[in-house]
Amino acid sequence: MAEMAENFREYSITEFFKKNAQMLGFSGKIRSLTTIVHEYTTNSLDACEEAGILPDIKIKIEETGEERYSVRAEDNGPGIPSKLVGKALGQMLTGTKFHRYMQQRGQQGIGAAGCTMYALITTGKPIHVVSGHKGKIFECDLSVDLKTNEPVVTNSSEREGELRGLVVRGEFSNVKYDKGQYGAYEYLKRTALANPHAQIELTDPEGNVFLFPRSVEQVPQRPKEVLPHPLGIDAHDMLERAKASESTRISSFLQASFSRVSADKVKELQELVPDIDFKRNPNTLSWEEAEKIVKAFRRVKWVAPATDSVIPIGKEQIEKSLRNILNPEIVAVVERPPKVYKGGIPYIVEVGIAYGGNQKSSIMRFANRAPLVFDASACAITEVVKNIDWKRYGIKDFENEPVTVFVNFSSVYVPYISAGKQAITNDEETMVEIKNAVFEVARQVERHISGKIRERERETKKQTFVKYISQLSSDIAGLSGEKKELVEKKLAEIVEGKYGS
Amino acid sequence: MAAESPVPAIEKLKLLGKKMVDEIDKGESPTFETYLHSKGNIIFDENLGYLKLGDKREVRKFLNIAQSRTFMQTIAIANKTKSFVEQGLHTSIRGLYYQLKFSLGEDVDESLFEEQSESNALIEDLEVALGVKREDLNLTTDRKGVLAGPVVIRDRFAGEEILIDGRKQGRSGWMIPSDVDNGMEIVKTDAKYVLVVEKDALWQRLNEDRFWEKEKAILITPKGQSSRGTRRLLRKFADLGLPIYVFTDCDAWGWYIYWTMKTGSMNLAYLGRDFSIPEAKFIGVTMSDIKKYEFLEKLTIKAKEIDIKRAMEMMEYPWIKAHKQWVEELKLVVKTKKKLEQDALQGQRLTFVGEYIKEKIKNKEFLP
Repeated sequence: MAEMAENFREYSITEFFKKNAQMLGFSGKIRSLTTIVHEYTTNSLDACEEAGILPDIKIKIEETGEERYSVRAEDNGPGIPSKLVGKALGQMLTGTKFHRYMQQRGQQGIGAAGCTMYALITTGKPIHVVSGHKGKIFECDLSVDLKTNEPVVTNSSEREGELRGLVVRGEFSNVKYDKGQYGAYEYLKRTALANPHAQIELTDPEGNVFLFPRSVEQVPQRPKEVLPHPLGIDAHDMLERAKASESTRISSFLQASFSRVSADKVKELQELVPDIDFKRNPNTLSWEEAEKIVKAFRRVKWVAPATDSVIPIGKEQIEKSLRNILNPEIVAVVERPPKVYKGGIPYIVEVGIAYGGNQKSSIMRFANRAPLVFDASACAITEVVKNIDWKRYGIKDFENEPVTVFVNFSSVYVPYISAGKQAITNDEETMVEIKNAVFEVARQVERHISGKIRERERETKKQTFVKYISQLSSDIAGLSGEKKELVEKKLAEIVEGKYGS
Repeated sequence: MAAESPVPAIEKLKLLGKKMVDEIDKGESPTFETYLHSKGNIIFDENLGYLKLGDKREVRKFLNIAQSRTFMQTIAIANKTKSFVEQGLHTSIRGLYYQLKFSLGEDVDESLFEEQSESNALIEDLEVALGVKREDLNLTTDRKGVLAGPVVIRDRFAGEEILIDGRKQGRSGWMIPSDVDNGMEIVKTDAKYVLVVEKDALWQRLNEDRFWEKEKAILITPKGQSSRGTRRLLRKFADLGLPIYVFTDCDAWGWYIYWTMKTGSMNLAYLGRDFSIPEAKFIGVTMSDIKKYEFLEKLTIKAKEIDIKRAMEMMEYPWIKAHKQWVEELKLVVKTKKKLEQDALQGQRLTFVGEYIKEKIKNKEFLP
């Protein structure tokens, strides 16, 4: 029996990866490379933030063969204790984040380990890890035993040293570096935009070094782990939680695992689902029962969830990073107050518009600070932004003007369209909120743009008048007998007075 | 407007300059006022009998981005023509254009004038604004008309003063200059009327017959559409009380020449009375002549489409519509689709032209 389970597991892990490569971001050569960069970068950001360190991340991509690249990711984070290196970077589905109900950047705990496995599958090579943690430097090669899902550490060594942080280097095949909107460069640029506290450097395969400098010197507040609100959960989540629960009764499980669930509310629920005995152990809950309870949740009146679990990037932070990285002429940002959708899930929408300068028209989508690079056409944010009549806001030709629309959706539970986590569902409620946010910023931008246009017109007028003053003055002088210099001086004064800045 | 003014052009130019200096002293944009000479401001004065500009004025401002360049250009024309007048030198509007076609500065990629069409329009503006004629600004226009007959004209020009006797111009006649106002005056005439003959060929015919001597008439051909100089001179003869009779082809072009002479045209409405002769009368050729002179019947030619179209348009002009006889005449053209050239009158014998005219005048057979 145990052997079967073992076999099953062995089958599931490798097959799981292969079958779900797409879901995990390893589909398509360009996307696979971007996903690898994404996983390492996100890990580093999280590790630094948890340790209260301003992240300093360096990514280096080198071409090592045909459709074969090595990716080196270095951070200044706390590093990983030598004992945990294997588990942290080589074991699938063990991440501490998988069942946590808190605002996350969007990985599933499969992140860096998934990359280790991808390296193994495509090149057969282990990854190389250097971890500087608390005065010790641990170095090793790391691979995964596909049969046991156990990390395999080889060539390890440990020495004293002042290095702090983590360096991971892996070699991957069947991947491709791309300079376009789906490539690592664009991904890192957007990551830097949404994480103004981080400094990110990229060395591309041609040896070009791009630095996205830090815009703010403050580590963002860490999101809190919170209990989900009854209206923000589905049967699957409910079952996951019930299975993992240490409560002995369903009644206490409900109170302990969800916010706003009091003893009175449990009674109310029990009356709605009399056939489920709330005295039972929650571990015994079936899918059908979980579904029934979730349905019952919707028939009870709840106090709205607390919204303090949602941590936005912040208006000023976005403003600074948009200015810093895109160098636009105009920046406007709106941070909307927290909203709740489906009655149970708090979220915050932030929108920034950067106009002018040397940039292409682009819609930059983010969920919890993580750039959503793929599946743009399926995303609610894209739909909202594209459907706006930009002409009304002084942007005559949105597709061809130097304008970036930055939208960040922050929530404990981001309504992604699929497990690929690259697009937000076009749900009516959240779309209206996104639309209102974009409208609000667009109005501000419109004022700036029309101001700029007026300014330019004023300047053009002035230049025209100034150009003609000399000729006109000599003719007025010729007609009137007045001195040209005098006429010219006075005319210049009039023009300066009326059209000078 | 271009009414005759006792103030010389040079003074008006100086005043324009002083006014602008005053405005600048007050910290205001220099301006000048002109009358709109767009279609909306052209009216036909029924009592006076010619086209003129209405009362719609416009203030042109230097500090108006839409007008800035043309303002500067207009003032440049004003100042340049002032220097022409002061030096007593004349030039054509093309000569003026070349005088003003220069770069606005070493570092400026723009010329004061790029095309002559720019300056042409602005000369009109200036004429209207100052109430002067371009001839008063020493700008010459093309000469075209020719004169013969009992009139003596004094011409002060290029430092010389001469008397021109219209009876002693031989076979070529006296070429009417572009400016008949400045330095030029009619000393005496004992003519009874002025005959304007559209075509030079007919004029030569009548000159050879010494028609002007026999009839005591001033014989003029504008050689088609009349030049500014010719029209001004006709105006002056009319002011002396001489009847003006016009003799053209019986077709669209002929009528157009007549009516432009008489009432002015839309394009030149800004010139008003100075360039129109409402007193002029139309001798012929008319369609009705065919009834009277049977031989003409065979000498008609087919009217062109443009003649028919033009005839129909003219019937609608308020200043023509008012004249029943003209409307009848035009209707006849539309109906018969025929036209008649003045040359046709020579069909029987060459000297018939003179007889025809004499008879018409004797019997007062005119169209208004």
